[in-house]
Amino acid sequence: MSSSTIEFRDLSKQYKDVLAVSNFNAQILSGRVTGFLGPNGAGKSTALRCLLGLVNPTSGEALINGGPYSALHDPIKKVGAVLDSRGFHPGLTAMQNLKVMASASGIDFGRIAEVLKVVDLEGATNKRTKGFSLGMKQRLSLAIAMLGDPEILILDEPANGLDPIGIVWLREFLQKLASEGRTILVSSHQLAEMQNTVDDVLIINKGVLVAQGTIDEIRQGKSLEEAFLDLTLRRSA
Amino acid sequence: MKNLLQSELRKLVYLRANWLLLLWSGLFAALGTVAPIFVLNSENNRMGFSGTTTPEGINAVFANAAGGYLFALIMGILVMTNEYRHGTAVGTFLVTPKRSTVLYAKLIAAAFAGLVVQIFSYVMAVSSGFIALNFFEPHAPVPMELLWKVFRASVLSGLVLGIVGVGLGALVKNQVAAVTGAVIWTLIVEGLVVAFVESVGKYLPAGAITGLVDVDFGKNDFNFSIANYLTPGPAILVLLAYAAAFSILAMRTTLRRDLD
Ligand SMILES: Nc1ncnc2c1ncn2[C@@H]1O[C@H](COP(=O)(O)OP(=O)(O)OP(=O)(O)O)[C@@H](O)[C@H]1O
Ligand SMILES: [Mg+2]
Repeated sequence: MSSSTIEFRDLSKQYKDVLAVSNFNAQILSGRVTGFLGPNGAGKSTALRCLLGLVNPTSGEALINGGPYSALHDPIKKVGAVLDSRGFHPGLTAMQNLKVMASASGIDFGRIAEVLKVVDLEGATNKRTKGFSLGMKQRLSLAIAMLGDPEILILDEPANGLDPIGIVWLREFLQKLASEGRTILVSSHQLAEMQNTVDDVLIINKGVLVAQGTIDEIRQGKSLEEAFLDLTLRRSA
Repeated sequence: MKNLLQSELRKLVYLRANWLLLLWSGLFAALGTVAPIFVLNSENNRMGFSGTTTPEGINAVFANAAGGYLFALIMGILVMTNEYRHGTAVGTFLVTPKRSTVLYAKLIAAAFAGLVVQIFSYVMAVSSGFIALNFFEPHAPVPMELLWKVFRASVLSGLVLGIVGVGLGALVKNQVAAVTGAVIWTLIVEGLVVAFVESVGKYLPAGAITGLVDVDFGKNDFNFSIANYLTPGPAILVLLAYAAAFSILAMRTTLRRDLD
């Protein structure tokens, strides 16, 4: 039984001279991991930012549980997000950053130790984040996303900057979250990794949805990478 | 709203830069009373002001105890621009997508921070002033009324300029540019306008604060007379109008802006 938790309806976003997202329509099923794939500049981050209410669509809408993100009550208890911009202060420790977020939404501080443990960052609790490695920053972003124990996770390139060990860690982390029945929408360039992690795939190119389906439907016996190149290169040629 | 205010206060308290700024504001304010005590008591170079043996001289010294408002303004600017500088605006607005609510919390937090800056500055300036006066006995008495008038101006200017800072930060976004602009404006442009074009200057924040301090400086080389400034009532209204205008500016610029 899956219903759609995230829905893009005719979403378009026009920046000054770029049409970043163009009449984008898609539905993401709940309880599944959906990979959001597309070449650089395809519009993935823009679509996700529209979904999270950070960017205003030029037309159309992006909905979570049938409404805009801004209509959610206590949104970080329903949706956790990791975006490509940092989202925490370098002059504050991991603990302080998490306290700032937790207190803003009335989340118990006891939860902070839990999320730091979940992302294996307990050793750096009281370190200023400006001294964090890229991998530690990604883990802290994930910890922040998990703070409200959300049902839905929206992750924009969470594997960026991770070394192979970090990527394996992330894959297992996502699989664990998925096994708990959460809905995960994750954009990525790590196609080889994606093919072992995702249930469904959305492919966007130049702001337009070019394919949507289960991983097997999209792959059609090929590797995800081949299928991806076929769908994006051939269609844009 | 209570949660959000608590979160904003945490940001203020956790950041070491804010404590440094507070420290600087205190030193600057102390210099503001101590330096004139030495200048006014040097025989040849007191710029036409009376020495601290006269009530006007004492007025001229202690009026400066309200002079730390630049730091309240910077505090307000930081409250807003820190979010853009470090990309924390994204996290802040994810927790609270209703941006007006975030802005209200920021305006209140910045007003509070500005207030703390100005009260601390006032205490530093007044206490250092008393200490420095010990070196120039005898001096005219320091009336309670003077201290109260300056305190009143400190409190209101702290609240108002903290809020103005948020509006400025929301408009400019770039922290370095906003702070630099505020410093140049306050220390140079505004000072010149207030001193030389009083008809305009009295309506600027510094002019209104001077009017609110409302003490007589006597005769001096600058033709600087409190009679050229607003009386305290209108001065308060002008300051509140600035707070209102910059609050609206903060809302207008932030409510629908795309965040990256
Ligand atoms: N704030 C902005 N102002 C102007 N143009 C923008 C802005 N943000 C994105 N764009 C443009 O919109 C298009 C889509 O960008 P977007 O970041 O959504 O792509 P992406 O799929 O996330 O790419 P990547 O894989 O490189 O992260 C690009 O052409 C980009 O230059
Ligand atoms: Mg992107």
